[in-house]
Amino acid sequence: MELMYALVIGTLTATGVYLLLRGRTFPVVLGLTMLSYGVNLFLFSTGRLVAGQQPIIGSSDTYTDPLPQALVLTAIVIGFAMTAFVVVMSLRSLADHGDDHVDGSQGDDSQAENKHRKEGSGQ
Amino acid sequence: MSLPLVVFLPFLGALFAPLFAQGGRTAIAIASSVPALIALAALFPLWPEVADGGIVLQSYEWLPFIGISFSFRLDGLALLFALLILIIGLLIILYARYYLKPGENVGKFYGLLLCFKGSMLGIVLSGNLLLMLIFWELTSITSFLLIGFWSHKKDARRGARMALAVTGGGGLALLAGILMIGNIVGSFELDDVLAAGDQIKAHSLYPIALTLVLLGAFTKSAQFPFHFWLPHAMQAPTPVSAYLHSATMVKAGVFLMARLYPALAGTEQWFYMVSFTGMATLLIGAYVAMFKHDLKGLLAYSTVSHLGLITLLFGMGTKLAAVAAVFHVINHATFKASLFMAAGIIDHETGTRDMRKINGLLRYMPHTATLAMVAASAMAGVPLLNGFLSKEMFFAESLQLNLPGWVAWLPPVIATLAGIFSVAYSARFVHDVFFNGKPINLPIYPPHEPPRYMKIPVEILVLACIMVGMFPAFSVGPLLYSASFATLGGEVPEFELTILHGFNLPLLMSVMAFVGGLLMYSQRQKFFDFHARFKEIDEKAVFESIVHGLVDKAQRLTAAIENGSLQRYAVLLVVSVIAVAALPILNLGLFVGDNGLTPVDWPTALLAAVLILCAIGTATVHRERFTALVLISVVGLVVALTFARFSAPDLAMTQLSVEVVTIVLLMLAMYYMPSWTPKESAGGRRARDILIALIAGTGMTLITLAMLTSPFNSISDFFLENSKPGGGGYNVVNVILVDFRGFDTLGEIAVLAIAALGIYAMLKNTTLTPPAGDAKGHAWSRDAYPLMLQQLARPMLALALMVSAYIFLRGHNLPGGGFIAGLITAVALLIQYLANGMTWTQDRIGIKYHNLMGLGLMFATIAGVGSFAFGYPFLTSTFAYITWPVVGKFEVASALVFDLGVYLTVIGATLLALVSIGRLTPMPHPAIPDPRENS
Amino acid sequence: MNHWLTAPILIPLIGAIVQTFMGYAPISLRRTLAVATTLLLLASTLVLLAMADDGSYRVYAFGNWQPPFGIVLVLDRLAALMLVITSILALFCHLFSLGGSDEGNRQFHTLFLFQLMGLNIAFLTGDLFNLFVAFEVLLIASYGLLMHGGGTVRTVPGLHYVVLNLIGSAVFLISVGMIYSVTGTLNMADLAVKVREVSGENLQIVKAGGMMLLVVFALKAALLPLCFWLPKAYATATAPVAALFAVMTKVGVYAIIRVYLLIFGDAAGPVANLGMDWVFPLALITLAMGVIGALGADNFRSLFAWQVIISVGTLLAPIALGSSASLSAALFYMISTTWTVAGLFLVADLVASQRGTALDRIVTAPKMRHRTFLSVLYLLGVLAAAGLPPLSGFLGKVLILNSVEPGPQMAWLWSVLLVGSFLSLIVYSRAGSIVFWRTVDGHLEKPESLKRVTSLAATGLIAMSIVIVALASPINRYTEATADQLLNPESYIQILDTTMVGEDT
Repeated sequence: MELMYALVIGTLTATGVYLLLRGRTFPVVLGLTMLSYGVNLFLFSTGRLVAGQQPIIGSSDTYTDPLPQALVLTAIVIGFAMTAFVVVMSLRSLADHGDDHVDGSQGDDSQAENKHRKEGSGQ
Repeated sequence: MSLPLVVFLPFLGALFAPLFAQGGRTAIAIASSVPALIALAALFPLWPEVADGGIVLQSYEWLPFIGISFSFRLDGLALLFALLILIIGLLIILYARYYLKPGENVGKFYGLLLCFKGSMLGIVLSGNLLLMLIFWELTSITSFLLIGFWSHKKDARRGARMALAVTGGGGLALLAGILMIGNIVGSFELDDVLAAGDQIKAHSLYPIALTLVLLGAFTKSAQFPFHFWLPHAMQAPTPVSAYLHSATMVKAGVFLMARLYPALAGTEQWFYMVSFTGMATLLIGAYVAMFKHDLKGLLAYSTVSHLGLITLLFGMGTKLAAVAAVFHVINHATFKASLFMAAGIIDHETGTRDMRKINGLLRYMPHTATLAMVAASAMAGVPLLNGFLSKEMFFAESLQLNLPGWVAWLPPVIATLAGIFSVAYSARFVHDVFFNGKPINLPIYPPHEPPRYMKIPVEILVLACIMVGMFPAFSVGPLLYSASFATLGGEVPEFELTILHGFNLPLLMSVMAFVGGLLMYSQRQKFFDFHARFKEIDEKAVFESIVHGLVDKAQRLTAAIENGSLQRYAVLLVVSVIAVAALPILNLGLFVGDNGLTPVDWPTALLAAVLILCAIGTATVHRERFTALVLISVVGLVVALTFARFSAPDLAMTQLSVEVVTIVLLMLAMYYMPSWTPKESAGGRRARDILIALIAGTGMTLITLAMLTSPFNSISDFFLENSKPGGGGYNVVNVILVDFRGFDTLGEIAVLAIAALGIYAMLKNTTLTPPAGDAKGHAWSRDAYPLMLQQLARPMLALALMVSAYIFLRGHNLPGGGFIAGLITAVALLIQYLANGMTWTQDRIGIKYHNLMGLGLMFATIAGVGSFAFGYPFLTSTFAYITWPVVGKFEVASALVFDLGVYLTVIGATLLALVSIGRLTPMPHPAIPDPRENS
Repeated sequence: MNHWLTAPILIPLIGAIVQTFMGYAPISLRRTLAVATTLLLLASTLVLLAMADDGSYRVYAFGNWQPPFGIVLVLDRLAALMLVITSILALFCHLFSLGGSDEGNRQFHTLFLFQLMGLNIAFLTGDLFNLFVAFEVLLIASYGLLMHGGGTVRTVPGLHYVVLNLIGSAVFLISVGMIYSVTGTLNMADLAVKVREVSGENLQIVKAGGMMLLVVFALKAALLPLCFWLPKAYATATAPVAALFAVMTKVGVYAIIRVYLLIFGDAAGPVANLGMDWVFPLALITLAMGVIGALGADNFRSLFAWQVIISVGTLLAPIALGSSASLSAALFYMISTTWTVAGLFLVADLVASQRGTALDRIVTAPKMRHRTFLSVLYLLGVLAAAGLPPLSGFLGKVLILNSVEPGPQMAWLWSVLLVGSFLSLIVYSRAGSIVFWRTVDGHLEKPESLKRVTSLAATGLIAMSIVIVALASPINRYTEATADQLLNPESYIQILDTTMVGEDT
């Protein structure tokens, strides 16, 4: 069981890392989501794998470690907020550059640079 | 108190002098001379105390932990320099009054001049090395600003920057050197350092420390190979050249050598470094000066050469040489300052400094000419003038050096050679400018004498040259004695200041110098032709090209490294993580802990297989975005199931609800994005990424395995025990969230709220037009709001609200709670938007989501602050039981209020975020397929 | 229990909540309330500084739960110092924003206050996971602030900043998980106790976790090779935001000091001084990279952005050495550099506003307005930044140089630091002479007046470098005391024995 679980986490991490190294915002978002799945499962499992012992007093006689669950819950929520933000940011980038490349217009940096200078004016 | 006064008055003056600028040049000149006058008045009473070797120390603690103290120290040497700085400073102020033109920013000029004067006085009067260093750097900075005074001139700007780079850089070296000396001696107080000479020289760091200190001195005093900045500093207004770059600032370096003479001098290293640097500088300066057509250029190189002479004298290491050095400091200051002023006058009256144009000025300005000629003769070392005396001493000392073999001849020969050059260029200065036919098309013609008062400073200085030259013992004897005493730290050798020491080798050398010099000048054309064969290098250009090269290389390097590619930065990050974790994980290897492995059951295995397949699938087909989205949502679902499988119902529910919202979010995003990813990363890049990904995955697998199979105990028993009695809830996870670790949750909902606000702000003025169809070009369904959905949506809302209320209330005891309930409500409302459209729904809901969020955060905060009233810390919970209809006996914890806050914030944030995205596009479906027009 | 400890968190929180309700209130009212909040915050942090100066640890247990079980805030000298640095900086940035950079959307002040809340939680919390939450709060707020001000130039640097930090957050969670999975606790003091007993394979897990955590903090602190997100992000951010961000990298530095002196300090047995042998060389390389970047910068704001990176290197090198003297020196330098660089960002904005279309680019342009005033600010600012006398940067630099023991480390640190200063001397004199001196004739388009409040804010921050010199002795006494306190984790661990309210002692 543990080995399988470890493999699952490994897969999620690997695919997550691979995706977030892509050049377009959409796969990067997928990658981050995937990575956070892996991270959440990992953090959750720091309480070790126990079946049928949900930490609800009276539901059974021994209970699994509730703390990691609470942490993961927080992590999920924060992760959700972050995902939403990064999605919107990529939309904004799409709107600004008419392109969903992570570096703006095809990552053409020299031009992007000059644009920065021209537009990057103090408010 | 008098010494600090002397140092700080000029700074004070610098603040106030500019106020007199409106009053005209005379007013400000008078105002600027006040500090110097007071300073002189303050110094003279101290003269007797230091006359025969006494020391006046006025010390105040400042920053003991660094070793800096406000200690000011007056001895003969300091007094000598202070007098030079103050008196010549006064003359300069008077001179500048007439030199500057009415239109110029005299306020700035005099202000900076006073700042410099203060800093310079600070250097010579500091009794603490670090304090001295502070003033040292200040002189570099003020000199930078003064050279750049005419900032519209390109050469002025460049000269200023070069001077700052060289002298400022030298200052940094000096700083390092001083810090080392301080570490050796254990104090930066000058007295301690001077007393610890042997200790310093014995120390292993002495060679480095000495080198660093000398770097500072040599750069400041324009010693070869750092001499090049000085001639270019001549872009400054002439008063500045006369004051900073001949009389005072460039003397700071030699002052430093004199100051630290007892502490550092007397070793082989000192001898070779100092004397040979001095020799080289002496010769090179004198030689180049000969060929300068620019009046100030000639004087500048002559200054370099004379500074070399003084350095050489200090390097020789004999006591008399040191005396001669101090003596020459005085003499050079007087004749060179007057020469610069004369040059300034000529420039002022003729409009040029080119000696090929300026000829025969004797006829036009006899008075000035006479003064200049006397000063020039002093420079050349004509008897009865001060220059002659110190030069004789120098010649005499050059014969005293006991060097091995033929090297012994080097000093006298070089000395004579330099003497020849200096006679030659002095002769050229005199003859070219004042005789040698008629002036050749001068910008200002005919030139005539300057205003009366402009000549007074020159006259005074020239008078000094003559006085010292004729009655040395009477005029400078005492001052020289006390200065030498201070320099040598006691026992001054016998030296007699008479006009002539009888006929001896030194005199012969002088005669040779004169004959040779005049001969050389008469044959100058030959030399010019010879010199013309070597093309002259313009140090300024070199310096600029070096700086440009640096900047250019830096730009290319930076552009190469910081290339604005997220992919590179991400790789760097991931690889760093792998790199640091690699070693421990390798040590771990495929480790299985004492708990061993538990058996696998088929349903779970199936789930795992599905998850792994979908994950890999997502990665492989990610370019078909819709498919990828479907696959990843399956992954999310399986994750939720996994939580359920391993006894985490709350997590399962949360994951499920978040999953739904996330997918909705991504769908919305996809609506705007191109629905497929163009293929771009090359095979190599992909292979690399796959490799990195695999390594990362393997690492995580190994860690997880090791972790899952090792026994451990945590603080959690406490939560299990206290959840009911302390937190009043059966659902431990929920109690942890709203009570034990409620503060985390507060932060968490804050994050939600902030994210929503950020999203709202970011999209406020953005519009996006979605592509007209999907990848395969299918158009969107024309049916904006499907009837089925509309019909279903409304009853669903009511249902959903009830469900969420139930989940919320039971949350404290059974899986559920504010967060999940909030998401369910949010989803229900979201469906209304999807079913009935923005405006319709917004009108009926009629809540501002900002306020909803604010309300939520407020509830949470109040729930926390409430406990203050009972003297308990933030978020301390209490609970009571009440019997409710239907639900039955029910327990309300104050934490419930907190959870309510969570509930509201979640709804508000989620909807605010998603609705802002929904608002992105003006019309439901676009006609124009091109999104680029928005960019 | 001492409720003062919650003030730096609750004040901005409440202030921010109020702002959310004021979406449609007149801007003047919102501004007044927002700045009032920042002022209150400053006052409260000063109170805390006074408290912390007695050298004791003050603990605040949320929910009245005994540590290590509940979350605690811990106030010690370091925390108080960071709070004050931040709140003073924040006040000036906030004032500057009133000059008009807070317009454009209504969220600025809300985000700004949330940002402060996040920072203050990070400085005060005594719980590792709560530190994560604090980071998320301050990050999400910073994302919002970074994007503030419209225009398309911020999007891409912002996106990079966000994505990298999201990866960082993931790594943070993983490392927390690894550490928890072995020690079974999250409270820092408790962790400090528990790691000492770790052995066998668990040791490897803790080591890996600790090192990964270091990478996360290094990312925040912008240590090479994780510093490249910073220059463009800071250079394109709105002036007050960029200025406020001067403290963001310091959060990373703070976290390194806190975690690696307390949990992985000398006393940590097998995991003692974890990772510090990586930090020292990297810090020096970072410093060098910063100088190179500064050399190549072609406008003021990216120049100062690179100066931020120079400061990070200068800070972390002595911290990695970890002696009491070097720590104290680093803290002293941190105070100086944070305010100075922030001030320079504000100056850059003022300059840009006075040079028409040339903005703050390092190019020839028509003579700017208010040249004297701005050039004096610039001069003072860069003197302090380059560590030239007589301003605070010089004292900090001398302290750092003096704090190293003779040896190879001294040779490295001295040469890199001094050569670095020499090059920045060249950089700043070049940039200054081009922008302020090298002018062409011609008139400026779009004349913009210099607002009083913005000039005041910029001057204020720059002037701090003089104030620091004036107060150098007390400040140094404080930093020395702080360093000693940090090097004695045992006393920090005592907080586990704090008695809760209502318990009879």
